[in-house]
Amino acid sequence: MIASEETFRQLMVRAQGGDKICYSSLLVECEKWLRRYFARKINPAAIDDLVQETLISVHRKRASYDPARPFLPWLAAIGRYRWIDSLRKIYRHEHDQLYEEMVADPQDGDVTAKVSLERLLGMIPPGQAAAISLVRIEGLSIIEAAARTGQSESLVKVNIHRGLKKMSALIESE
Amino acid sequence: MSVSANHLIEGLVEELEPVRALQPKNGMAIVCGLAMVAAAAVATFLGVRNDLMTGMADEMFFLRSGVLLMLGIATALAVVNMARPGVGKLNRGWIWALIAAALFPLTAAIMSAINMPPVEALRPMQGLKCLSVSGVAALAIGSGLTLWLRQGAPTSPERAGWLVGIASGALGAAAYNLHCPFNDIYYIGLWFTIPVVVAAILGRLVVPRLIRW
Repeated sequence: MIASEETFRQLMVRAQGGDKICYSSLLVECEKWLRRYFARKINPAAIDDLVQETLISVHRKRASYDPARPFLPWLAAIGRYRWIDSLRKIYRHEHDQLYEEMVADPQDGDVTAKVSLERLLGMIPPGQAAAISLVRIEGLSIIEAAARTGQSESLVKVNIHRGLKKMSALIESE
Repeated sequence: MSVSANHLIEGLVEELEPVRALQPKNGMAIVCGLAMVAAAAVATFLGVRNDLMTGMADEMFFLRSGVLLMLGIATALAVVNMARPGVGKLNRGWIWALIAAALFPLTAAIMSAINMPPVEALRPMQGLKCLSVSGVAALAIGSGLTLWLRQGAPTSPERAGWLVGIASGALGAAAYNLHCPFNDIYYIGLWFTIPVVVAAILGRLVVPRLIRW
């Protein structure tokens, strides 16, 4: 089970004040939340690195959290930023099995839906979202993605580039 | 949880120091302070325009000052709010200030199309002075704003770059505006727009590299 929004917020407020016990609990809960958040939106082989990079950003940028506001939208903004950064790094991998058991935590269903990566992908044109999903998330080659989508190879590349750029401008949109 | 994640968390907890939550009002205080220093420097070294000194300033001076200040403050507010990210936290009020400010160059362009102004009306030499003084003021304001923003976590460095440029260009031009004696729409539409546009482009090119995290 993952902590509630209010628990996250209180832990973060105490962590900003220097409470190491609360901070440790906060990071453990963030790790769990982020693992579910990124599930199916990044190659499983890359998820550990992405979660850890996001935790480091949480640590470095903890002063940017406003204690008067909810915590999860802040964590999601940090997570989206790191996710897009990770998708920009070109990598090719085998067709790994996605972890089907990893689904969004139903406890915070409304919040999770509003800040989800699915929602961010849905804000860009479908052709761009498809190119990003197939190449950068599922790990297909450009040729395979072109055959799957009916786009030319160069259009797949352009769509990935444009889609990532557009998503990075929409990180705080819900 | 993986072993490496466990080790990372232990390391981060070990490093923990208390931090003060970033306050946008501190960023605004820096921007306003630098803009006031720039205005004081213009008044001291170049002098305040005569009609303002005598308390009979032209109405165009107030319109120009108001629009530049509104644009500068609205964009600076958007920048300082970008330091504290959050999904669903949109800052789009600056767009309206930008549209209002665009009325000056737009009016000048329409008037020029109807009645081509003589080159003297554009006053190239004074215009270049306006551009350089506004540019130096903008550089000071933009540097302060960028340094402050580095503490935060802006999720769109490119947009932040544009906005830092627009804010510093508008406030730099507002500082020079105290000295500038010209009131015609051709001059204002050209020479008060160029510093904002140049600062915006420079902001877009330079600032994202400095604030990326």
